[in-house]
Amino acid sequence: MYPTGRTSQDAPEKEVKKKRIKAKVGLAERPQVVEIEVPEQELPVWDLDSKLAVVGKRVPRIEGAEKVTGQAKYALDYVSKDLPGLLYGKTLRSPYPHARVEKIDASKARELPGVKAVLLFDKGEGFDPGKILDVMTEDAVSQPKGRVVIFEGEEVAAVAAESESIAEEAIRQIEVKYRRLPHVVDHEEAVKPGAPIVHRGMKDNLRRVDPQVRGDIDQGFKQAEVTIERTLRVPVLLHNSPECHVAVAKWEGPKLTVWASTQGVNGFRDELSKTFRIPPSDVRVITDHMGGGFGSKFGMQAYGAIAAALAKKAGAPVKLGYDRHEENLAAGNRPNATMWIKLGAKKDGTLTALHCRSFGTAGVGWDATVTPMMGIVYKCPNLRLEDTDVCTHAGQGMPFRAPGFPQGSFAIESAMDELAAELKMDPLALRRKNFVDQPLQALDKIYDLGAEKIGWSRRAEMGPETSSAVKRGIGMGTAVWPNYCGPPAHCRVTINSDGSAEAAMAVQDIGTGTRTLMAMVTAEELGLPVEAVKVTMGDTGLELIAPDSGGSVTALSITPAVRAAAAAAKAELFKRVAPALKAKPEDLVFENGKIFAPANPRKSLTWQQATARLGATPVSGRGERLPNVEPYAGIPLWGAQFAEVEVDTETGLVRVLRIVAVHEAGRALNPAMFESQVNGGVMMGVGYALLERRTMDQMEGRVVNPNLEDYKILSSFELPEIETVIVEPITPMNNIGGKGLGEPPTVPTAAAVANAVAQALGVRIYELPLSPDRVLETLEARKEA
Amino acid sequence: MSKTKKPKDTPSVSRRNFLKAASMAGGAISAAGLIVAPRDRAKAAPRPIPTPLGPGPVEVTLDINGQKHVLRVEPNVTLLEALREHLGMTGTKRICDHGECSACTVLIDGRATCSCMTLALDVQGKKITTIEGLAQGKTLDPLQKAFIDHDAFQCGFCTPGMILSLKATLNKHPHATPEQIKAAVAGNYCRCGALPNILKAGNAVAKG
Ligand code: FES
Ligand code: FES
Repeated sequence: MYPTGRTSQDAPEKEVKKKRIKAKVGLAERPQVVEIEVPEQELPVWDLDSKLAVVGKRVPRIEGAEKVTGQAKYALDYVSKDLPGLLYGKTLRSPYPHARVEKIDASKARELPGVKAVLLFDKGEGFDPGKILDVMTEDAVSQPKGRVVIFEGEEVAAVAAESESIAEEAIRQIEVKYRRLPHVVDHEEAVKPGAPIVHRGMKDNLRRVDPQVRGDIDQGFKQAEVTIERTLRVPVLLHNSPECHVAVAKWEGPKLTVWASTQGVNGFRDELSKTFRIPPSDVRVITDHMGGGFGSKFGMQAYGAIAAALAKKAGAPVKLGYDRHEENLAAGNRPNATMWIKLGAKKDGTLTALHCRSFGTAGVGWDATVTPMMGIVYKCPNLRLEDTDVCTHAGQGMPFRAPGFPQGSFAIESAMDELAAELKMDPLALRRKNFVDQPLQALDKIYDLGAEKIGWSRRAEMGPETSSAVKRGIGMGTAVWPNYCGPPAHCRVTINSDGSAEAAMAVQDIGTGTRTLMAMVTAEELGLPVEAVKVTMGDTGLELIAPDSGGSVTALSITPAVRAAAAAAKAELFKRVAPALKAKPEDLVFENGKIFAPANPRKSLTWQQATARLGATPVSGRGERLPNVEPYAGIPLWGAQFAEVEVDTETGLVRVLRIVAVHEAGRALNPAMFESQVNGGVMMGVGYALLERRTMDQMEGRVVNPNLEDYKILSSFELPEIETVIVEPITPMNNIGGKGLGEPPTVPTAAAVANAVAQALGVRIYELPLSPDRVLETLEARKEA
Repeated sequence: MSKTKKPKDTPSVSRRNFLKAASMAGGAISAAGLIVAPRDRAKAAPRPIPTPLGPGPVEVTLDINGQKHVLRVEPNVTLLEALREHLGMTGTKRICDHGECSACTVLIDGRATCSCMTLALDVQGKKITTIEGLAQGKTLDPLQKAFIDHDAFQCGFCTPGMILSLKATLNKHPHATPEQIKAAVAGNYCRCGALPNILKAGNAVAKG
């Protein structure tokens, strides 16, 4: 379900010899010894008994100095100083949501001094970056009836010029005659009969996703003693990654190098190879540092294709990026949803049935699915989950941190709270009643800690009955995300004669700290300080495949391979120095700064002495990510968040005072970075709850707020106090003992805030964001009722 | 710029075009005080007719991090563009290019200023400090160090702007209160959610 970039180098399945090993795992206060079967070359799990010196510590990011001094280089930072003769690309985009391109005339643009290439995308319908070679032309309209554009921001033409301002001027000089066609941008309108059809050849705008079914829903509702039924809505969100999508493309003969702001160099490389019909080995994609993606930067996309096509045409390197406005029209978004949900339960709170029907729009793209979260978060024997994608004339959706889950969470957690109210049950007790019990899972502890830290019992004094106009409330929600990490990932660790080590892998650090984790794991396995390890990454030229960074897979897909590579390199080093120590390599250990055979501790070498013997030929080892150990890989990443809010019933303003975020990721590799991940997820979640939404002008079919002035995210003044609590159930799923963390912290936040607001007001708002106008309207409606 | 995405029939004044118009007219757009220094305007009677600058490059001298740089740029080039594209000093970041994110913050005579909203021409003779100029050789500024210690960045794209916004406040109020620290970065955009730690870093430096 995730773009993984694991296409061109997937190794065929080999026959593997297995062994059985033991590991002490789970929570420190209730350890369990489990026996697992692993491939013979697998290392013992870093378990509860392992004494780790680096992993699990608050190690500062190794690229810190580069980032705070402005030396860290992002794709946007490639300028003519780096690439002499660099040209600047710019894209002409449709100003209309649906129109026929009747005429394009680029002659004026072509004549502008400094313009080096002009491409018109004038064939076919829509713009498919993968087909750029087929749809680009240099002449005016080549189709008898003209090409059709189907969203505001769709690519129509592109230019490359000597400077950004010349490129902008050239874009203005391209004359396009559009004939507008009827459009629909609201998904609730797009489902109606007679709505304009977005994709030609389809009979309506709908695509029904196969429903997920468990048990018998009718039976389940028959057994229910209480049912509730609600409809909830969430808006479209914009990623607004700080660094807009940007790629710098350079051809040398048939070979293509692209510096890109991407979450997946491997996936990007493979798509370029296909699109430009050249072997993957002729394409190199590099991402040194990158300014955030949050799901919007998988694959080559239009920017990659256009940059490479322009560079080819102009015979010079081209940088093509989106500006903020373009980013917000065409670079992706989180789909919205209208969710109808029905829950049934026994009087004691046991869920008997869950039914959800949701439809939402990913614009001209697909996948507005929101229900998978509901299928795994609580135990319910009978369920039916139905999603429908609705196409509209708007930019296509892209994965957005925990795709589908924050939406689904808002629906089910709101419904759970209302069910609790119906049952006159404490909302947290209702969750405890229905939580999924799995081996090595710590959800009970997560609930306990969250309730304690937020002061759950204080809820009794809160709510609408208090005398002040400012009401308080506390609410919560459960975080869950499936475990997707796994092979393939390949790493090479080299030990140099100066005693330093280098870990290399074609994985990118999107800001989550991947680089630092690689250094930490290498240092741990070798017994070195982190400063002794250098990391080389973000370059397909390394030929060391790794996953794209998404779906919380990166850290624990790659670190087991890093550890294996470090162990292999160390074994090589031992081979080289064993003769000098008159020992067998496999008998050697590196402890307390010395390499020696425990049988003969007198004879030893320091690390420096040993590596000095390597001379001009450093040693290196390769490591591979081995398969996950079942059944532990099937256990999701769990957590829970608790929110305390204040609502001013006179102004309608909601303030989130505090979020307690309790999360587990198996082993927490670096608590400081763990907290930063949680902070990021929580801030996005509070933004989702209170502020963020893409607004469309229905009449014009255009985005009203494609900028950072009108699209609000949380600022320092709205920032709640965030308390992160780390729970650490070690897993035997891989040799590190960890799982992953990127997505879960943003899953339950909005739901927890909404539940807190509902408690504060004594009435619920069924649509995000919980903006002041909605708060006041809801209070008004209650007064009238 | 934004203009390219708007329908051809909608007149639009983009920031860049506004600045461009202003620069073409010399000092005529006085609100911006753009080309002719206000002092010159006041004492001159009768006022000289300002010479329009551009199109075509003009010479600009910038004092950046204590070093003089002479460059030839179009008069409508922003300080951000001059730094990044012309001088290759790419530590100053661009997130919005429209004065909405403060990622492009530099210090101009000590004041935090959005370089995307400033013409290179207008800051001649002023002291410009960019993120590249904050450390003294290999010694990091206490703020830079605090950012590393408090894990005050993830992707790091907003970091230079955050640091310089805080720097301006701390220069003025070395013991800034938590409220002042909050205000210092209230206009800075960070999508990774580093703000809690950014505030911690700022407060740590303010406490000394
Ligand atoms: S880039 Fe200057 S304020 Fe955003
Ligand atoms: S650290 Fe990524 S935007 Fe602030």
